Amino acid sequence: MGADSFIFLGFNFHAWITIATVLAMFSVLLFTKLRPDLVFLGAIAILFVTGVLDAKAAFSGFSSTSVVVIGVLFVVVAGLTHTGVLQWIVKHLLGQPKSYSTAVVRLMLPVAALSSFLSNTTVVALFVNIVKMWSKKLGVSPSKLLIPLSYASGMGGVCTLIGTPPNLIISGLYADHTGTAMNVLATTIPGLFCLFIGVLSIIAMRRLLPDRKAPEAAFEDTSEYTVELLVPSDNPYVGKTIAQAGITEVHGGRLIEVIHFDEVVSPVPDKEPIMGGDRLVFAGQIDEILDLKESHGFVNADHHVFTMDEVDQNRQLRTAYVTFGSSLINTTIGHSTFEKDNNMTLVAVARRGKRVEESPREVKLQAGDTLLFECSPQLSIDTDQLSSQLQFFDSEQVPNIGPKTLVSTTIMIAMVVLSALKVIPLLQCAFLAAIAMLLCRCCSPNQAMKAINWNILMVFAGSVVLGVAIQNTGIAERLAYGILDVCGTNPIIVMTAICFVATFITEFISNTAAGAMFFPIMYEAAVQLGYEPFPFLIALMISVSSSFATPIGSPTHMLVYAPGGYRFSDFIRIGLPMNLIILAANIFIVNVVYPLTPLQ
Amino acid sequence: MTTTIQEQDGKMVAILKGCLDTAAAPETEKAMSPLNDVEGKDIIIDCTEMEYISSAGLRIFLAILQNAEEKGRQVYIKGINDNVRTIFTITGFINIFKFM
Repeated sequence: MGADSFIFLGFNFHAWITIATVLAMFSVLLFTKLRPDLVFLGAIAILFVTGVLDAKAAFSGFSSTSVVVIGVLFVVVAGLTHTGVLQWIVKHLLGQPKSYSTAVVRLMLPVAALSSFLSNTTVVALFVNIVKMWSKKLGVSPSKLLIPLSYASGMGGVCTLIGTPPNLIISGLYADHTGTAMNVLATTIPGLFCLFIGVLSIIAMRRLLPDRKAPEAAFEDTSEYTVELLVPSDNPYVGKTIAQAGITEVHGGRLIEVIHFDEVVSPVPDKEPIMGGDRLVFAGQIDEILDLKESHGFVNADHHVFTMDEVDQNRQLRTAYVTFGSSLINTTIGHSTFEKDNNMTLVAVARRGKRVEESPREVKLQAGDTLLFECSPQLSIDTDQLSSQLQFFDSEQVPNIGPKTLVSTTIMIAMVVLSALKVIPLLQCAFLAAIAMLLCRCCSPNQAMKAINWNILMVFAGSVVLGVAIQNTGIAERLAYGILDVCGTNPIIVMTAICFVATFITEFISNTAAGAMFFPIMYEAAVQLGYEPFPFLIALMISVSSSFATPIGSPTHMLVYAPGGYRFSDFIRIGLPMNLIILAANIFIVNVVYPLTPLQ
Repeated sequence: MTTTIQEQDGKMVAILKGCLDTAAAPETEKAMSPLNDVEGKDIIIDCTEMEYISSAGLRIFLAILQNAEEKGRQVYIKGINDNVRTIFTITGFINIFKFM
């Protein structure tokens, strides 16, 4: 039986295989922790083996110009980040604004500008820590600024074709279909308009942003100060155990170490006896711990309070957040081998800005929890390797700002200008820029290779292939007809309807996958209506990047989720209205800038 | 490090010889454990030939003292050298134990 002789609900056999594969793939991505690149490869394998796609189509993603451009851009961006461009911008642009509205503008505009050329995730990852410090300086809760940060990077990303992968994928598919390449700045005016509306909306809806204490505030005193008290030889507690003296958990802190005359005991068991001359090391709030001098007759050690800098010589305290999908969720550190495997000890856990009172090693962890670890100062934590479980914010080596900062910026600008003016096509431009970055030593070959995220490239290539399958099997055409049946033949209503669905689908799947899957549907719908698809696709680009309503909608949301102490519902509260506002702004501006034209 | 336990004049006597450092502590603790089962007799820890005591050693002494006190018995320490006396003084254990 041929694939075309089986028709059910208007779809042939191959179309049903594709639909089942896509649904299965997204279920697997949503509900399991399998690697996304593997899931996409599996989906391609199914489509290839079942004959839905021939070899050429099945592997078209790997030779797709847009996927190659994304890969090469990783190197260009590495050149920029390793020469301190981001730091320069941060240093000069944030400043000391007087009001929340000014702060939002000063934050969102530079972030959007950077994200329009760099990876959104890179920009947000760098800004998270800076915004946290900045918010402290401004006396604003970080939760009021971190969602705007993430939204700005998403909205900035759509302003150029190279700013975000879905733009490249959609423009690449458009070039394949029509033979005409989109200008690298095709989305700039609509993108800037949406950004402008977005910034105003955030300021207007600022009450919808939660006012939450920074999660680390709960650790602030613990992580900054350790107090050392000396037990006098004639102290009444000499010979008693730590438990008998009642000093394991004291108001405001806990005992982390006992230093006997010949031995250091840490962690301290309840049965450990107190001896004269012992030095008891407490972590916590100094003033409250110092009350022990009065209640227990301890005295200041000769070196009784030391700051983190001094403590660093003996130990290292690091803060990390539990990521979404982390295998540590619903487990306790005490029952896992995590501490042993990574040579770290969990000292404290905070949830949404409040210290969890239970014993930290017995706390059942949740996504977004903040963990305070202690480890030896020599230990260098492989944050990349742990990134699927915990997100560490490093005080990374900040690159020095120097002549190379200017060189890398010039290379980037030259790349954008040359491709925008169509002097050299984007792919060639990207290659030239990457080579220039390497030749000018803006990044080392190792840094360049390390910057290329092969897993992400694999997912992008997979997304392109899925888009091809959706097109080739006639699903796109059927869905387009279906949409036309429901929405009639008004092109603006059809454009709005597809963008509306895309905006919500992209909340649950990657923006790139949404772009690749909705491209054929939008393209077919425009063609069926007899209009040039270009404006429809510009609107689609903005829609698939407008995922504001869930923290899983974008990797940048996930980056700010824990540091902001957010809840899932915080994103829904401000994100849903944002989705609708940006959708309206998007449809309006696209139709103004690119008026619909009938197909020739 | 050697530990000998014997009965003298109605008292249990533990004779310690050598260095009671952290490494020797587990073995010494085991050797002295019969003292915890003693009923109705005072205990003498003879340290005349003990050269050094670590915090791990002090933990053993303390455990024996607490066990004996619960049973209403006394623990005496005998013949400590200057070195060990200094440790007992610094740690305040000199005020907890009785010396003979």
